[in-house]
Amino acid sequence: MTGLLEVRNLSKRFATRAGREPSPWIIRDLSFSVADGEFLTIVGPSGGGKTTLLNMIAQIDTASGGEIIFQSKQAPLNDKKSLKPGLNCQIGYVTQEDNLLPWRTCLENVLFPLMAQGRLTEETRERAQSLIRAVGLAGWETHYPHELSGGMRKRTSLIRTLVYDPPVILMDEPFGALDAQTRAQLQEDLLRLWNLGRKTIVFVTHDITEAIALADRTLVLTRQPSKVAGEHVITIPRPRDMRDVVTQPEFIDIYRRIRAQVQ
Amino acid sequence: MTTLTPPAQADGAAAMTRGGLLALLARKRDQLVVLVVLIAIWQGLSMLLGNYWTGTPWGTFERLAEGIAEGELLRHASYTVAEAIIGFLVGGIPAAVLPFLLRRLPMVTAIIDPVMVGGYGAPKLALAPLFILWFGIGIESKIALIVFTVFFVVYFSTLGGIRALDPKLVQMAQMAGASESTIARHIIFPGAVPHIFAGLRIAMPYSIGGAVVAELISANRGLGYMIQLRSMNFDTTGVFVALAAVCFVVFIANWTVNSLEHRLLRWRPPTDVTAQKE
Repeated sequence: MTGLLEVRNLSKRFATRAGREPSPWIIRDLSFSVADGEFLTIVGPSGGGKTTLLNMIAQIDTASGGEIIFQSKQAPLNDKKSLKPGLNCQIGYVTQEDNLLPWRTCLENVLFPLMAQGRLTEETRERAQSLIRAVGLAGWETHYPHELSGGMRKRTSLIRTLVYDPPVILMDEPFGALDAQTRAQLQEDLLRLWNLGRKTIVFVTHDITEAIALADRTLVLTRQPSKVAGEHVITIPRPRDMRDVVTQPEFIDIYRRIRAQVQ
Repeated sequence: MTTLTPPAQADGAAAMTRGGLLALLARKRDQLVVLVVLIAIWQGLSMLLGNYWTGTPWGTFERLAEGIAEGELLRHASYTVAEAIIGFLVGGIPAAVLPFLLRRLPMVTAIIDPVMVGGYGAPKLALAPLFILWFGIGIESKIALIVFTVFFVVYFSTLGGIRALDPKLVQMAQMAGASESTIARHIIFPGAVPHIFAGLRIAMPYSIGGAVVAELISANRGLGYMIQLRSMNFDTTGVFVALAAVCFVVFIANWTVNSLEHRLLRWRPPTDVTAQKE
């Protein structure tokens, strides 16, 4: 099966400095594919190279071996100079930190990609506004990041990526630093938004519950060097209620199986 | 759906809360107390030491009023201020622009670094006689000295600002499709503005001080010339008057930089009491 995004035998070790042992492999021969419109979650132990994997897919880090095929084309991976961050706005990336620009208000941050791409029109502005309403940020548009709570900043950073509609969105533990309540709320917001557009999402987390609750399919990675330890298709029917999903018998079964694979 | 209620527009510096106003008044009162204590010490010293060593506060005030009325003080002060402003702009603007031009040329930055460090460290006062030799005793030599002082201070703080920028913000912008020029204009520049201001804030009193020092050495106008002339005539009170005028100029200049900074850096969170603007 060929997917929208294919990772083949991907390997990564960091560049060695003179006089030092070569760094160990972070990722070794990692292969998987993502279908168009699929919500894929990846769980693995902390420090297992998950962020490194997303950085390589997002084209902000080079690979030491293997290839990444996107829309049947090979993405450049060999040296820093040939990297194309975001592959011409085809790949959006919601990073662990919100990376909001502190000198721009909430709305101006959301509009930034549109401005950068020269796509600021009545229509795209309206889209930004409707996303702001959809995640409950209405009324906060003119506030600066330091005036927003952690959850609101996360929402802002999430819709800043959604607003320009990239076909693939990578998410690196976006809800990691939030309290349980805010987190459940944001997960629901995310699923609702995803349901509207059915983007392809690659979502990395170390939280097994979150991985199952959101996904169509979950990949389990091993400790370093990362490889695929297991793959689970999640058939829990949608729409899912985040607070409810954990009580489903199917959830408990998958949870046990993933738990056994995550060492 | 969460309902997040935005606060009433009473937050931030725009609206002053009752508590904030009281704190501000209390601070003004304390500043006034410090001023009164200093003047009292001055008065005490002048009574103790006599007119030859220090002028009295009242005598200084009288002479100050006289100087203002006659227009003499204004004439000298405006000359000094003109030197300071021209020097500040001629030195500060290229210093704030150059690190942006050099951003993509790390090699050039590294090559000129020792020169810049040397210029930054050179004792400016020692250069004053040289500038007078080259540019004469007119306004040019004073401006040259100020340019030389201001340039390096602003250059290094701007460079520091560009280097301190979080590379993740640049990466974010690249992924969002921003071109090099968009990144320079919307990420690098706004990120460096607080550092540029830190440099300007340090350079501003330097430029006024530089003007006064250059005039002390050789001039026929300006506040520094006033100080020089009056001290040679053993007119201690007159020296105090000129010093008071210099302090006043620095005070106004500082206030100007502060309000400009406050306008441009509205987005910054207040960090401590001194950052809470009045």
